[in-house]
Amino acid sequence: MKTTGYNVRIAVDDRVLVDVRGFQFSHNEITVLFGESGIGKSLISRALYGLLDPDEFDVTVNDEPYEAYLNRPEVRAIRENSFFVFQEPSSHLTPLMTLREQLREGSLAKAPAESAILRELWTQEESREDAAIAADKLLDVFPKPHRPSGGEKQRMFLVMALKKIDMVLALARAGKECLFVFDEPTGSLDNHFRNVFLSLLLRRFKAHPFTVLLITHDYSIISEIAHAHKGLRDKIVFKELKRTTQGLILEGFDGETYTGWLHRQQREPSLRKNNTSPLLSVESRSAMFGRELTITRDQTGENECPLEVYPGKIVSLKAPSGEGKTTFLKMIMGLLEAEQFRMVLCGHAVSHESAGSLWRHDIWGKRMTMVFQHADEALNPASRVKEIFEGLPIQETVTPDMLRKHLGRLFDDELSEEFLNTRVFALSGGQKQRLNLARALVLRTDIVLLDEPFNGLDFESITRVFSMLSELQKEERGFVLVSHNEEIVRALVPEENTYFLRARNPG
Amino acid sequence: MILKRGTIVSRQDILWTCIWVGGLIVLGIWDGLFLNSPAFVMVQTAFRNTVLACTFVLLLSLLFGWASGIALHFLETNNRPLYLLTTFALNVLRSVPQIIGTLIGYVILTFFLGRGILNSQTSQLAWMSLVIALVVFQEVTDLVRERIAHYSKLEFFHAMLSCGIKEHRIINREILWKNSRAHLLNKLVSIFATAIFLQCSIDFIVSVGLSTDVSLSNFPVTLGSLLAKLDSKQDILAIGTILKDITSIRSLFFEHLQGISTACIIVFSLFCLYKISQGLARHYRL
Repeated sequence: MKTTGYNVRIAVDDRVLVDVRGFQFSHNEITVLFGESGIGKSLISRALYGLLDPDEFDVTVNDEPYEAYLNRPEVRAIRENSFFVFQEPSSHLTPLMTLREQLREGSLAKAPAESAILRELWTQEESREDAAIAADKLLDVFPKPHRPSGGEKQRMFLVMALKKIDMVLALARAGKECLFVFDEPTGSLDNHFRNVFLSLLLRRFKAHPFTVLLITHDYSIISEIAHAHKGLRDKIVFKELKRTTQGLILEGFDGETYTGWLHRQQREPSLRKNNTSPLLSVESRSAMFGRELTITRDQTGENECPLEVYPGKIVSLKAPSGEGKTTFLKMIMGLLEAEQFRMVLCGHAVSHESAGSLWRHDIWGKRMTMVFQHADEALNPASRVKEIFEGLPIQETVTPDMLRKHLGRLFDDELSEEFLNTRVFALSGGQKQRLNLARALVLRTDIVLLDEPFNGLDFESITRVFSMLSELQKEERGFVLVSHNEEIVRALVPEENTYFLRARNPG
Repeated sequence: MILKRGTIVSRQDILWTCIWVGGLIVLGIWDGLFLNSPAFVMVQTAFRNTVLACTFVLLLSLLFGWASGIALHFLETNNRPLYLLTTFALNVLRSVPQIIGTLIGYVILTFFLGRGILNSQTSQLAWMSLVIALVVFQEVTDLVRERIAHYSKLEFFHAMLSCGIKEHRIINREILWKNSRAHLLNKLVSIFATAIFLQCSIDFIVSVGLSTDVSLSNFPVTLGSLLAKLDSKQDILAIGTILKDITSIRSLFFEHLQGISTACIIVFSLFCLYKISQGLARHYRL
């Protein structure tokens, strides 16, 4: 098996963004690349694919200037016979052309028709014919920020990539260089569509192998491959890009480490203690922005019930993307004004009519806190790491030693004085997320609302968050968890503690 | 040419600060060599008084602007009637043209002087600064409110609130101090320039005298009042003679130095401050 190793260094002015030695992936294999957000996975893959602008970035590949690398015959071949699926599809679709035109643009015009792929990637519960009609209607749309949805745009990009694969498969058979990079291709997809995409990709790979670099944070892909694509297990390599004291390194990742760990996490059904009242009980019906929000026990919307969080328990709140999970959490947190909303928090009734001062003086940071979804936006980028913990309503003064001890539960050897003085904007996405969690969890609140707390974390960080949550559960603190990672949620939250949120417009 | 970020040449603000200071030093040396001693002392005093007054304007504007911006933010959420009343009062003050507002301040100063109040030059300078600050500070207020409004919509504001961090701390430290220093600095540079312009304009206007008892001679000498003196005016008029006789240009730099130096300090300073402000905006992408 031909394996190529790269030493990649990317800098802007004097700031080194990425410096990795021995970044390897094998030809005609699928390399699934994990690693915490912001560590440089996308940047490295873009550099190797030849997408970086030499005027903007100072890049060297295998110690040669980027221009020389771009002019290598194999790199030029890659750019002709390959495809790059970008992480954020919205910014890579032109609003001036319909999706149909974009699906047939450039070299894709010569590719086989897309109808079969479209049908598969749009089929969910409805019949395949209905799916084909729905997808076909969508093709005449000019992409706008909110239409089609993020998931539809992402699937459209996947259709393009799969078309290109169909087109170049013959070239791959003839030994031509091909490289297909999928950068977070399933970030906006639910498990069903993620699995459909994996099947489509792996079916083609089985017909004739080609080189794939699949970048993801979704470790549950490992379980899906182990479960549904056992035959290809030898052709799929899991790797993890890690930051160490020696810099960035690429290591092999044993899929069984993840599946084994996940298996060990399965929680026992939680027995409710007698005479214990919930820390938080939110009435089943609330209203906000003219929409009615209902909490139910069943996915179907039946069995309406209040959302209750008991001491030491984690409850999970599920809903399709865009249904209003984050809005609901912000409403509980008193950050958004509700039209109708009632809850009992630690024995105190709170409603949409409660005074703002109640939240400021008695709830925020004392009874309840929230971990926001996007750590990038939840932390002040101009603050230093140690400053993130200033001004919190905790009894003790935050000393550097205390800070190191607390952060040590989520970080490891990065806690030098230099790290504590680093500004947030210079941290990787995963570091920001851990800092975001650390700030909320250092508070002694009874309830913590966790909105996508595993976003952008690598496996090791996820295990650390798990153990930290377990410790805090023993302290009788309660949690409300919203996460799109169903496999991890299942490991953390027993079925009986799962609630569903449904939103509807009255009338 | 691609310049490396951080070097003086690429930092227009630093470059123009150096040019400004350097230019003033060269002018000072030239005046020291060729301007007669009493006039040189007067130019120095005028420059010192103007810089002092404008610095004071700058500090007062920052203080008033920061305080009023924050006060309005909290009043808006906690006491709507008082917020509306305060906004109305500030808008009334804003509706007065800056030059008229400053002139009114000078009239009041004249009134005080007529009654023997504010006799020391320092207190007169402080009054002038206070008056100018009162007509310009709302530029800082607007900036402070704009920054708070922008950051209040961002997630980190809500994230910090939900962690129990006090709102005044988030606003003062996280929004204004950590994220708006460059914006405030840029605004203060323009306020400094506005203060120079306003003071010089007013001093020139009031050079005709404010009352039978009070005239420019009662006020501390500033660049504006020095420029309004007859000697300086004649020096400026001498520029016109160059049109008739180009060889007379030499006399401008040796014989008409008082007026030329004063005018040069004003114009050169305003130009440099404009370039510094532009450089700051470019560097910090304001």
